Amino acid sequence: MSASSSPEPVVTINGTAYPYEPGDTVIRVAHRHGIDVPHYCYHPSMSPAGNCRICMVEVVGSPRPQIACKMACFPGLSVNTDSDLAHEARADTMQMLLVNHPLDCPICDQAGECHLQDYSYQLGSGRAVTSTPKTKLPKNQPFGEQIVYDAERCIKCTLCVRFCEEITDTNELSMGQRSDHEQVIMTSAGEFTTRYSMNIVDLCPVGALTSRDFRFRSRLWFMDFVPSVCTGCARGCNVTVGARMGKVLRLEPRENQDVNQWWMCDAGRLGYKHANSATRLGVPAVRDASGAWREATFEQAIQAASAALAEHRHEERPGHVLLDGGATLEEMWVARQLAAALGGEARFAAHVGDDGDEFLVVNEKGANARGAEALGLARVKNAADAGAAVLVIERDEHVPADLRAASGAVVAFVTDASHVPDSVRVAFPFGSFAERDGWLVNVGGRVQRLLGTGEAGPSAVQPFQAVAQEILLDLDAGHDVLDDAALETRLRAAPGLADLVWPPASREPAEVSS
Amino acid sequence: MAAKTPKRYPETKVLSRNFDVDKAWTFDVARQRGAYRSLEKALGSMTPDQVIDEVKTSRLRGRGGAGFPTGVKWSFVPKQTDKTKYICLNADESEPGTFKDRYLMELDPHLVIEGCLITAYAVGASMVYIYVRGEYPLSIERLWGAIEEARKEGFVGKKIAGRDFHCDVVVHSGAGAYICGEETALLESLEGKRGHPRIKPPFPAVEGAFASPTVINNVETLAHVPWIIENGGAAFAKQGIPPDPADPRSVGSSGTKLMGVSGDVQKPGVWEFEFGITLRQMIEDYAGGALEGRTIKAVIPGGLSMPVLTGDELDVKMGFDDLKAAGSGLGTACAIVMDDTCDMVQACENIAHFFADESCGQCTPCREGCHWMEKIFHRFDAGQGTRSDLDLLENLFRQIEGRTICALADAAVWPLRSIVRKFRHEFVAKMSPDEQRAEAEARSARQPAGVK
Repeated sequence: MSASSSPEPVVTINGTAYPYEPGDTVIRVAHRHGIDVPHYCYHPSMSPAGNCRICMVEVVGSPRPQIACKMACFPGLSVNTDSDLAHEARADTMQMLLVNHPLDCPICDQAGECHLQDYSYQLGSGRAVTSTPKTKLPKNQPFGEQIVYDAERCIKCTLCVRFCEEITDTNELSMGQRSDHEQVIMTSAGEFTTRYSMNIVDLCPVGALTSRDFRFRSRLWFMDFVPSVCTGCARGCNVTVGARMGKVLRLEPRENQDVNQWWMCDAGRLGYKHANSATRLGVPAVRDASGAWREATFEQAIQAASAALAEHRHEERPGHVLLDGGATLEEMWVARQLAAALGGEARFAAHVGDDGDEFLVVNEKGANARGAEALGLARVKNAADAGAAVLVIERDEHVPADLRAASGAVVAFVTDASHVPDSVRVAFPFGSFAERDGWLVNVGGRVQRLLGTGEAGPSAVQPFQAVAQEILLDLDAGHDVLDDAALETRLRAAPGLADLVWPPASREPAEVSS
Repeated sequence: MAAKTPKRYPETKVLSRNFDVDKAWTFDVARQRGAYRSLEKALGSMTPDQVIDEVKTSRLRGRGGAGFPTGVKWSFVPKQTDKTKYICLNADESEPGTFKDRYLMELDPHLVIEGCLITAYAVGASMVYIYVRGEYPLSIERLWGAIEEARKEGFVGKKIAGRDFHCDVVVHSGAGAYICGEETALLESLEGKRGHPRIKPPFPAVEGAFASPTVINNVETLAHVPWIIENGGAAFAKQGIPPDPADPRSVGSSGTKLMGVSGDVQKPGVWEFEFGITLRQMIEDYAGGALEGRTIKAVIPGGLSMPVLTGDELDVKMGFDDLKAAGSGLGTACAIVMDDTCDMVQACENIAHFFADESCGQCTPCREGCHWMEKIFHRFDAGQGTRSDLDLLENLFRQIEGRTICALADAAVWPLRSIVRKFRHEFVAKMSPDEQRAEAEARSARQPAGVK
């Protein structure tokens, strides 16, 4: 091959020339250009292990297929991902992978998102070639508190081992035994030291590693998945929220190289429990004359709230609106208007931890604290500053009991009925992160979309923006009611917000990958 | 069948020159018999490149099984690098039926160390690791003893032989895994990790032990180096089988080789010959031939990892290219002999069991396939094999060979496939009567009448 005169070297895949960068492997170039090359042990973040052998492609001029994950591109290289030889090699690998695989898909949590299943449909014949008894290996082994390992389902791709070596550098896992008795073992005394351990469940291409939290709770095809962001801290890791029949069942990281790469922490992943609380407030509630709570329609509750706030304004007590640090920009914007009508200002409270690390977790736990500051909202840090007319609370830790009690608020928007302080006379249900749409600003100044799913939470929750603007109309007849699209237009142009990193102006969420 | 060669093929004692000398493993005896003279010669009168050239001239090929030209391998080591370079001596002699390096390490450890040091000088290495299989306690003891003696005498450590050359030698004991004889698995193991072979490239000469340039050679290979330095590469190249003049790429099989025979013979053992002795000469003249009243059915010429030759195919010269042309390979040149009492189905089951047990578990085809093959052979032995199982086996051989990171899978396939093909009748004999009838019908349908 003579030296190419073109400025960029190219590699030929399926007859088409594609440019590559120095150090590129065939699989990277193929994936970059949308060419499907199946893989199990390959992950773009880790060193190639080259052990699963499913990514084999035909190298033109070579009688033997080669693995695309480790094959470095060089000028003149020509490979076929779709030829008979490539298909034969993959089908052969599938046969080997399945010979000792338990084929317990009907009771396996991975069914529906299992790469072994997918490629088996694509490549397998569906016919068993042997009746050889399968090798027996340990099942139901705990890996730490959250993960369960099944060595029989495991295809020994070592992604989990390499994750603990190369990404977290904590080395809790290793391969043990040899031959078809090889299995993943814990090197530490049964516990993970990393706070990112559950990423190995997502990494696992099969059902060998399952999350104790999610396993056996739902078949995937019954669930609704939306692309959203984690509200566990201000990092704003991109996630996919999976929910079914009023319950959030699972959070999984979604790739975003600018925020969380492919990962999320275990605390964020499990930080959805409040959305499924047994004491969720499902409908508005109003205190009657005797002080007892009774259910109300939104209309009744809005009337009662307007009356209570008008009275409150008359009493010249602080007309502030105290928001949860995880409230969206839209909610904060409307809260600011409501507060202005009450003669106060919108404020926010958010928990600050001390567990930040150099990877993903940050100390600031308010998922939109940065947005609140950009909007000019003051931060309430102690009970002395907590006086407010209206409370908006999703998470207990952001607006804890002492702040709630000290606020003296008369109207509250809460996810959980137990968060309503004694002073409140009208309580509205507030959606959890899984039920609300809106913009959040993460710690890096990136504006990201929180997207709710209709499958999560109580069915009758109305957005805070809508309810608050109804109340505003009652208090101030001249107020313009804005829908979310109009709000977004204002937010994008607002001082303090316009300079942030906004995604393109489209209300369409990104495709859900899982 | 060829007539038995009347004249006995001579032994040539080069590597084995001290094997019969009492206490040749001690420094004084070894030194008296010439130990470290070649090292002194190399350090005193040769540049590193001259040493490499001399070894290239000798056409010395690796004695560990693959037969790669040693001088060429050394020349891959980068000259300019800030990294420490290493010599790694592969003394993990774990190939079944192979026990030649053990003789060298136990009976002439100073020769082994000298070879390592000359190699270190040639490539600019300052550290030698000798990775010895853990089941060789005497080898480990003798090597350590020799290292300490040589250190006292100024041949290991700083300022070797009074020259400006520093190199230390360390013995590292393996833990009994066959896979750690594979050079990159050996490096992983040496680094304290699980013995999983690495994907090549990068080759060890560029990125080996501790991500530094490393030369890995078999014990016997480097033990040849002192003689080559002393007598010149050309003298070495004159011995053995010359390159095929018709093939410009042919390297031939130069020099002598420790060869061994084990299994169903009268006198198993290890001898040193120039390349060129036939397998039959070695077995009959030196190993005493088959046991009383028996005939040789099959021989694996080098270790376990090479295709089998039948009793009729033994008149092949022991040489890299000759055995390859005969459909097998030299391997470690330590033959395993099976006589007519050997059940080839059970032999396959045994071979498959070995590889299934020793597969590191990394690559899918080898991890799953080796044990799968063992299960199928077990089925044959239990009388439950079928003709379709033989087809399945052929399919598995194809699926496993050449589809893995290292050559262990190939090593498993080669002997098994050759036995299944050459001794199909033994597998058929263990099938049910129905299967046997079907096989007979298929055979007669395939062949015209009158052809046997």
